Amino acid sequence: MKRIQHWQSIAIVLLLAVFAGCIKDDFIDDRVDPQLRIANKVDSLAINTSYQFEEVFFNNVGLAESAEVLWKSSDPAVVSITPTGLAEALAPGRALITLELDSNEKVLRDTVLVSVGETTVMQASSINGEIVTTSSYVLEGDFTLTEIDGNLELSLGDNYRATSALPGLFVYLTNNSNSIASAKEIAAVKVFSGAHSYTVENSSLSDYSYILYYCKPFNVKVGEGKIQ
Amino acid sequence: MKNIILLIGFSISAQVLLAGGPWPQAKGDFYLKLSQWWVVFDQHYTDQGLLDPNITTGLHNTNFYAEYGLGSNLTAVVNAPIFSRNYSNNLVSNTTQDVLIAGEAINSVGDIDLAVKYSFATGKIPLSATLLFGLPTGKTNGGTQGNLQTGDGEFNQMISLDAGFGGGENVPWYVSASVGFNNRTNQFSDEIRGGLEAGLGLFNKRLWLNSRLQMVESLRNGATAETTTSTSIFANNSEYLSLGLEVNLNITDRMGVSASVAGALRGEIIAAAPSYSVGVFYTGK
Repeated sequence: MKRIQHWQSIAIVLLLAVFAGCIKDDFIDDRVDPQLRIANKVDSLAINTSYQFEEVFFNNVGLAESAEVLWKSSDPAVVSITPTGLAEALAPGRALITLELDSNEKVLRDTVLVSVGETTVMQASSINGEIVTTSSYVLEGDFTLTEIDGNLELSLGDNYRATSALPGLFVYLTNNSNSIASAKEIAAVKVFSGAHSYTVENSSLSDYSYILYYCKPFNVKVGEGKIQ
Repeated sequence: MKNIILLIGFSISAQVLLAGGPWPQAKGDFYLKLSQWWVVFDQHYTDQGLLDPNITTGLHNTNFYAEYGLGSNLTAVVNAPIFSRNYSNNLVSNTTQDVLIAGEAINSVGDIDLAVKYSFATGKIPLSATLLFGLPTGKTNGGTQGNLQTGDGEFNQMISLDAGFGGGENVPWYVSASVGFNNRTNQFSDEIRGGLEAGLGLFNKRLWLNSRLQMVESLRNGATAETTTSTSIFANNSEYLSLGLEVNLNITDRMGVSASVAGALRGEIIAAAPSYSVGVFYTGK
């Protein structure tokens, strides 16, 4: 009888070992506002030239999707535009080009004011912003994101500081700062203070709306910088 | 006093052999314990000592623990996580229900601790010294992120001093204190460890209750965490102050069951959740 009691006790412990540690689900609230953008904005178009505008649409989790959009010009006599975004600079003046998407939730819109002149001039290719922590870990500093020859250069300023206590800190570009599911991984963070930079190949300013700092081992967001 | 000795053995958690008390096993006596220890946490203490969330992570150890009296003053100790499982949950989109990051798990033997305890003073306040070797027998970089671990990957040597005293005939009790230095390798920071423990025997010594306060302070003389991907309880420069409670019930003269819970009162770079343990023990000669 004593022996049976011993084995019963041991069996309980072993059963606990066998059934312990099942992988379950953690849910994350990753809903974001859908975004519609004109991908290649210009300040001016050379008269009597054409220009193909392009659109990008990110859905409610920040994933790029194709969408049936509408292109409009406020003054077709100055700049005409086709349903596919092909613009013609017809006469001197200015026209507001509007990109619209009537989604189920609301009408999304982006605009650009285009002048018709002697040359075609792309919009500024640099955006400044600020990295802020969204956790208890130190993360702060100014950034500049610059488009150079089809690549992006992310430059962190002298006032940049990040914790070195956190394992597996990575930096990303994304349209959903709550998740790295659709994010572009730039690099593991190796610099924890002062100015430094990263190069992101084959990317443009319109591709992303956030810089995201994320701890991979903990699978948790550490901080972000909004690209505006 | 023998009961006290046995109880000290019960108090050894899956992770540390520090709170051992100054009492050695008598020559030829042994104490065996098979237990299941686990911690599941969805938040952790940051380097600022604040709480931040993380993906739910679990560590489950099946431990074999043994003490054997080599001589009247010398006790050999082994603590072997014979089966260790570390896992992280799936990360699922609340919007689309898609699995964004699949959960993973690894199974292996954990880090095995070997120790010898030498009792160099008896009397009202006995003293002992323990030399422990922590063997890096667990896995250190499992999973696609390399963050699943069943061991810390370093060979550590810890020396600790224990003192204690006890009393009571009908209701026996004891208190003990310990202090230790943990020399860690492989760029891990060395540690100062300390502990206080108190126990009380009830119902003619069939039921023992004890509580344990444990402290780990990192000397921060190793690498910082960014060079590793470890999480959970294996991260470098971890610190904590924990309080544990344990119940031990002697079913027969030689055999009993135990259950314990412990949690951090403060911490840095460490899981923020209680750990639990249940086990069976056996004593003999």
